[in-house]
Amino acid sequence: MATVARRAGEYPEPVVTWWSGRRLRFVVVLVLLGAFYSASWHLAKVDPGRLLTGLPKMAGWAAKAWPPATDELPILLLRTAETIAMAAIGTTAAALLALPLCVIAARNVTPSLALYYPARWFLNALRGVDSFVFALLFVAAVGLGPFAGVLGIAFHTWGSTAKLWAEAIENIPPGPLEAAAATGASRVKVIAYALLPDVAPSMVSVGLFWWEFNVRASTVLGVVGAGGIGQELKNSMDLLLFPRLLTIILLILVTVTVIDHTSEWLRRKLE
Amino acid sequence: MATTEARIVPASRSLEPVARVERLTKRYPPAVTALADVSFTVRPGEFVAVLGPSGAGKTTLFRCLTGLTRPDAGTVSVVGRDIWRSPRELRSARRQLALIFQQFNLIRRLSALENVLVGRLADVPTWRVVLRRFTRSDRQLALGCLDTVGLVDRAGTRADELSGGQQQRVAIARALAQDAKIILADEPVASLDPESSATVLASLRSAVSTGVTVVASLHQVHLARAYADRIVALRDGRIVEDAAASRLDARTIEQIYEKNGERSEA
Repeated sequence: MATVARRAGEYPEPVVTWWSGRRLRFVVVLVLLGAFYSASWHLAKVDPGRLLTGLPKMAGWAAKAWPPATDELPILLLRTAETIAMAAIGTTAAALLALPLCVIAARNVTPSLALYYPARWFLNALRGVDSFVFALLFVAAVGLGPFAGVLGIAFHTWGSTAKLWAEAIENIPPGPLEAAAATGASRVKVIAYALLPDVAPSMVSVGLFWWEFNVRASTVLGVVGAGGIGQELKNSMDLLLFPRLLTIILLILVTVTVIDHTSEWLRRKLE
Repeated sequence: MATTEARIVPASRSLEPVARVERLTKRYPPAVTALADVSFTVRPGEFVAVLGPSGAGKTTLFRCLTGLTRPDAGTVSVVGRDIWRSPRELRSARRQLALIFQQFNLIRRLSALENVLVGRLADVPTWRVVLRRFTRSDRQLALGCLDTVGLVDRAGTRADELSGGQQQRVAIARALAQDAKIILADEPVASLDPESSATVLASLRSAVSTGVTVVASLHQVHLARAYADRIVALRDGRIVEDAAASRLDARTIEQIYEKNGERSEA
């Protein structure tokens, strides 16, 4: 412990330079941020006035929507089930495809760097294209319906899951892998026996997250004709059937809430 | 400490040293000489403690013995193979060589038994490893190794639920399951409390009684004197002492640690 040598008020304070390079950099960043937001405001054509005139219109729809229509409930429930099924099949297919890719795309276990970089580029490309865009392409390729949605979800989720899994693999402590490799065991054995038990819980957690995310995403995939409740949503909006629209929105809310809570509960159980 | 009958080794093996280091030199340019002309042999069934202050060259010596660091000059032969002659020699030497780490390096979510079975991985078909279906004889062998280190009753416990000392003993059982001729332990008790250190070294001692050779670097002089057969002391990259543990008095060894009037805790 240092002893007190001076009284308060007698200690020399560190010198603060007002125009240091750091301070200058801070000002430059502030100016650039200001320019960015003002340009964005214009490009996005933000017009609060139009929101104000549009609000009464929406309020009118809301008034007309009550009570929600129940006559078509069976078909709407079927479409909701379709949405959940699309997400489940798409996510599972993506997970199976991501399994080999995540090993190649994890720096600490990749068989070779010559494969590592192409694998990274490939999964970044998959991740970069939204499932909505993929679904649009697949509707053109395989026709209207939920299968196009499944393919859209699978391709985007493939890249996203593989990337998060690869990161989970890269974050595990290297010691146990080194110890297993030092016994003379082959790479496949080390990955299967020493790596997998360590990353499995976080991999399942990532998979559940994407299933939950995809249920939410697939509620709108129908808008491009890729099946599910989104298709009914678009039809109702086009025909201005507001009570039916309200039923659909309520169904989506209930589904998403239930799935979110289930997924969260499952993920908590993994820890 | 070890039973006498276990110290009797077959004549054919006792002739051949388990490890031989000759005129080993390793420099880290520009100014550090980690090892300078180090020579010693390890006979089968010996427990050799390598002592020395931090920076004496202990870790470099271990890295040269395991083939992780290439020496600038000199030869290292382990189980009769010159490990720096070819990658093949290194690989076949490594099968007979087991490593013990300061941080134990167990697979956290697997049981003690499953961690010991890591020692069998090289000899088990890949499909069995993937499905984690080992044969009864492998499981029995692993349980026997756990018994040697006194942990057979914790076989089903997850590794991350064991204490540090217990984890290190599981690591020793893993080395035994590998059926290695020699166990190299770099600072095996450096992150353990005194009581666990004693149980871990006692487990290494039991390993020696099954015929394995142990080379361990240690920090505490009294532990080396209590558990090792022989003490090799390094200082500034040179061997300053190499004698039977019983022949060295505490004062001689403590001098190894004295540097500029400062004494490290021993």
